[in-house]
Amino acid sequence: MKITPDIICHEFIGTEGKIAQSTHAGYLGISGKIVDETKNTFMIQHEGEMKRIVKDAAVFHFTFSDGAVVEISGKLLVGKPEDRLKKTVKRLW
Amino acid sequence: MFKMNSTAKQIARQRIQVLFQQAARVNKANPTLAQRYVTTARKIAMSARMRLPTSYKREICKNCNALLVPGWNCRVRVKPRRETHVVVTCLSCGGQTRFPVKAKKEKMKLDQNNYKNETPRSA
Repeated sequence: MKITPDIICHEFIGTEGKIAQSTHAGYLGISGKIVDETKNTFMIQHEGEMKRIVKDAAVFHFTFSDGAVVEISGKLLVGKPEDRLKKTVKRLW
Repeated sequence: MFKMNSTAKQIARQRIQVLFQQAARVNKANPTLAQRYVTTARKIAMSARMRLPTSYKREICKNCNALLVPGWNCRVRVKPRRETHVVVTCLSCGGQTRFPVKAKKEKMKLDQNNYKNETPRSA
């Protein structure tokens, strides 16, 4: 899958997510399937429990269905799912 | 005004497809979550100004956005009055949807053949 700046407009429900870095110590090491999404948070199923993660406070590693792993800062993903569809990010490289 | 180009509409189409697949998977275990997925899919379609495919439209309840499974959370009946139509009743919210039933083209062709195969009266 080709990685373009459009990646922030994709659907993350159903992908595997892992938290690589975080400003909150309690979030480190959480991984699992993304179950729900709101304006500021993700719901991850971690070892049978539902955890709510604030998007602003973490850097995520998402694994898509074809095996690609993408690292995205949570600050770029803030927004309701239907508003995130129209967002643009300036290409820096 | 924000105009969507074709790549953005393609992404929207993919997102709706993924959401409906995930909703079908979690429906039996967690119907409320499936309802949330369908609501999000409809909002994405509204934001991208595109229609849902007919097959998806027919398996959701327009009132409460539940994913309908015949025999489990909805009732399907065929009614003959006025014109033949199908009525789907959602058992959780009571909302009804109707859509018409059209005679298929193959059936009409068979009827024409039947008339042709009849033996003529003057023999």
